[in-house]
Amino acid sequence: MPADQKTYTFHVSGMHCNACILMTESELKDVPYVTNAKSSLSAHSVKVTGDFGDKTPEVIAAELTQVLRPHGYALTVEKMQKDAGWGDFVYALPIALVLIAGFIALQKAGLANLITSSSVSYGTAFFIGLIASVSSCLAIVGGLVLSLSASSAKEGGTWRTQTLFHVGRLGGFFILGGLVGLLGNSLHLGLTANVVLGSIVALVMFILGVNLLDVFHFTKRLQITMPSFLSRHVVQGSKHDHYLAPLLVGIGTFFLPCGFTQSMQLYSLSTGSFTQGAMTMFVFALGTLPMLALLSFGSLNIAHKPWKGIFFKTAGIIVIALALFNLANALATAGIINPLFNI
Amino acid sequence: MNKMIVVSVAISVLIIGGALWLASKSSSGASGEATVVGGIQYVDISAKGGYSPRVVTAKAGLPTVLRVSTSGTFDCSASLVIPKLSYQKFLQASGTEEISISPEQAQGTMQGLCSMGMYNFQIRFE
Repeated sequence: MPADQKTYTFHVSGMHCNACILMTESELKDVPYVTNAKSSLSAHSVKVTGDFGDKTPEVIAAELTQVLRPHGYALTVEKMQKDAGWGDFVYALPIALVLIAGFIALQKAGLANLITSSSVSYGTAFFIGLIASVSSCLAIVGGLVLSLSASSAKEGGTWRTQTLFHVGRLGGFFILGGLVGLLGNSLHLGLTANVVLGSIVALVMFILGVNLLDVFHFTKRLQITMPSFLSRHVVQGSKHDHYLAPLLVGIGTFFLPCGFTQSMQLYSLSTGSFTQGAMTMFVFALGTLPMLALLSFGSLNIAHKPWKGIFFKTAGIIVIALALFNLANALATAGIINPLFNI
Repeated sequence: MNKMIVVSVAISVLIIGGALWLASKSSSGASGEATVVGGIQYVDISAKGGYSPRVVTAKAGLPTVLRVSTSGTFDCSASLVIPKLSYQKFLQASGTEEISISPEQAQGTMQGLCSMGMYNFQIRFE
């Protein structure tokens, strides 16, 4: 190693995935005076070797940050104060519990009984959508939206990721609803698939929820084991310039185990026409939009407020609670455990 | 700060306690009994925003027919699952579904729930 080569270790913010290691390393190695760069995901650091002349580490960090900024990373000399923010829990825990109690009360209120009509017009489909988004489906669809959008907002995601998700959901319901009507074949999944999917969604929500709490470092390792399309593309969609992933997740919500969605699919099936099936499902999805949009754009908005720490911890607690709720329900449906809840 | 932690924990305990109290109160209500007509036992359950009655007592070892009626049911309770019978069906929004339970199956406690698992009912064969 020539005498004028020096090695510095910088802390990287914004590094979450295996791809980030390659990305930061290759970008840094492209800098003329850098001879080697080695990133570590677990330590959130990068070791940079090169001929830096007599620049101070601060200057180097600032220069290299310029290189990485477009990809959403930043280098600092000091490890950013890793404040787990335990103090935030003082507010977050009661708030989360009040919201969870509100959710349970909403279920107990018997909203489903508000649907008095037994035939389905577009108006009814919209109304059923409205009801669905605040009742039982809130646990799984709303929980997923909250966990994904809060995580996305936390990682610096923009309105585009969230919008694409909703566009995907509306478009997916239209097209798939049309197909259900046209083919006369129900696309909803069987019991086993339902249980498996329910468990997977619960698990993803649990991991995202724990990450939102931001107190346990071992989950960063768990995150790697998450489906890479979720951790990379959806959560950090804005950084990696992916349009497809949030769209696909939006379309995928068509298959989530939600009773209301399934009964709407059953109705679409009975129409036997593409247009009617498509419109019914689209209008239903439109009915669920206000609540889901509130969750996703609300998260995005709050992510820039000074009390965002409280918000992320509150969201984390709620998402974990919903994940456990969904998991217990999935296991009960499979007949593995007795039902724990009845709301 | 310490004072706030105490207040926070106190509020949390109150909410959890209240929720548990509510949950235990509501689950004790709403039970029913099976009716026997001509040697066949009928268990009637209506499904809409949950199942009612939640707990039905029936005689064990009788040929049993479970009648689940829906009326404008678009929620999860239309998606009926009975794990012990390996039964799963998406019920019509309005109508009555008859599910036969053989004398051999009419034993112990039978759980029925919606496919998402949030609503359930029990038939206790005694």
